Amino acid sequence: MSDNCNCQNPLVPSIVKVVDIIEETPDVKTFYVTSDNGIPFKVMPGQLAMVSLLPVGEGMFSVSWQADDHLEFAIRRVGVLTDALHDIEIGQEIGVRGPYGNGFPVEKCEGKNMLFIGGGIGLAPLRSLIKYCFKHREKYGSIKILYGARSVADLCFKQELFEEWPAQPDTQVFTTIDRPEEGWNGKVAFVPTYLEEISPSPENTIAVICGPPIMIKLVLQSMEKMGFSDEQVITTLEMRMKCGIGKCGRCNIGSEYICLDGPVFDLVQLKKLPPEW
Amino acid sequence: MKTLAKTKIEAVLNQLAEKAEVYVPLKQGAISSFGVWSAAVSGENLALESLNTLMSPKSVVLPQTEKMYTFATSGQQAEVKEVCADSGERVIFGARACDTKSLNVLDEVFLTRGYEDAFYKARREKLTVIGRACAQPGPHCFCSSMGVDPLEPAGADVILYDAGEEFGWEPVTERGQALTNQLNEFLGDRELPKPSAAEFRTRVDIEGLPEKLNRMFAHPVWEELAAKCMNCGICTYLCPGCYCFDIQVKTRGQEGYRFRCWDSCMYPEYTQMAGGHNPRQSKHERFRNRFLHKLEFIHERYGTLGCTGCGRCVVMCPNGVNIVSIINRLREVDVDVR
Repeated sequence: MSDNCNCQNPLVPSIVKVVDIIEETPDVKTFYVTSDNGIPFKVMPGQLAMVSLLPVGEGMFSVSWQADDHLEFAIRRVGVLTDALHDIEIGQEIGVRGPYGNGFPVEKCEGKNMLFIGGGIGLAPLRSLIKYCFKHREKYGSIKILYGARSVADLCFKQELFEEWPAQPDTQVFTTIDRPEEGWNGKVAFVPTYLEEISPSPENTIAVICGPPIMIKLVLQSMEKMGFSDEQVITTLEMRMKCGIGKCGRCNIGSEYICLDGPVFDLVQLKKLPPEW
Repeated sequence: MKTLAKTKIEAVLNQLAEKAEVYVPLKQGAISSFGVWSAAVSGENLALESLNTLMSPKSVVLPQTEKMYTFATSGQQAEVKEVCADSGERVIFGARACDTKSLNVLDEVFLTRGYEDAFYKARREKLTVIGRACAQPGPHCFCSSMGVDPLEPAGADVILYDAGEEFGWEPVTERGQALTNQLNEFLGDRELPKPSAAEFRTRVDIEGLPEKLNRMFAHPVWEELAAKCMNCGICTYLCPGCYCFDIQVKTRGQEGYRFRCWDSCMYPEYTQMAGGHNPRQSKHERFRNRFLHKLEFIHERYGTLGCTGCGRCVVMCPNGVNIVSIINRLREVDVDVR
């Protein structure tokens, strides 16, 4: 061990500080992280980073936005690490390493109408591309966002969802919840059902999907029914990961690694791989 | 040809051990493995003559556990200190072709495709491999079927040829030549016959197999083949080409370290996600992934097979899961059955 070790081991994180924590839902918080030297690294929409609470563990999360001076991670409380992360307070130092993965094909999407379909915490990776499209609004056509969650309380990014995004030019936001609820006058339906009701035109459109695997699988069937070609459909997948650099083995689908070759795949690529995700 | 009298092996190992960590096949009770040659090791434990060691020499470049960095926390503060990759000289003495070939597989994984693994690279760059031509394969050896030449260990820097009382000693790389020059005083010089082609009792035909497997993911034969497997994972630990690792943390009070350790695709936890989803929930899915990884996925990604025919998994599987019979069955079934 040495202070002037120069190994540059890609598995060693750098230390950043949590500068803000937003409570999105009862079990989702967004963490803003940065360091004295600014953001630890630049990310493209859809890329991943490994986040560690040093004494507890580390896990792979999509970066839900790269602001000028911080990275944002929207994290759902589901296990040991995320439980501990939900208990930290502003000022906590944590580890991050990355960025990992291919990210969304932002250039290929230029000039296209964008259709975003998200479920639950699946909106977190989509948000990075949604916000990117708004930032470069002139490069993209119409934007439709369809988002569903179990209940009103479980809808993430509410301020953006109900105020900021619908106010953008040529943008429609469709929100739905799974079961009726007092005080909710909006749509009650599962995402694939609502999608087929809205029946967006495939013309010059790219659809980007993220949610629980079962939702993705059902939405993919709907896309086909509505006449979207495989080239027009993009999804971003998630799998257990340890290294993030295509070595440790576990996030493979066939011969591809989600951490390195993904997490973003279009349906042409996905159909060549075993359906093991 | 240079020669090494078998009576001088210990002297050569002692000489090498002055400048490097020297790994030799050692027998210790029921276990044989590549262990470090030192004054504490008796020559009687050297297992150069017996076939494959139980444990492969992959641990020389990929230790079973390895500390990556330490950390200390204080209140909300945290500090990380990198553990320097171990970069001492190492020599593997007496590795057979199945094991040297699998180092090439590990090289592909750890040193290519966008990222270099710092720890693996540091160890690998300082490694000299003295391979040993293998003319008498065991009953479960099938390296020749997997494209490995047992007489010319691929990836070795020096190749030893057994000629009874002595070894023929042939440097095949610059690194091997440099090592040979250091050992000149121990080496003789005369022509020895190289052993002739080995006879294999176990053979299997893999022609076209990766391509066929690419169309067999959904085949019902996987459930049949996986029936005997207990997912114990011994095949993955013994396999010289299995490299999957886990990253875990050890915390004591305010301090701790993060380390990596061998993992196994046979265990459900390997792909178990915190939210509850597991893409390989059942035994046969994990089994299928292991064999497709060895015989198709590694081939598609790196252009080489993940199995080098060493036979360790065949010998040690407690339930008689045999990769050779599995390949034969996979070849025989009709691919269009889904």
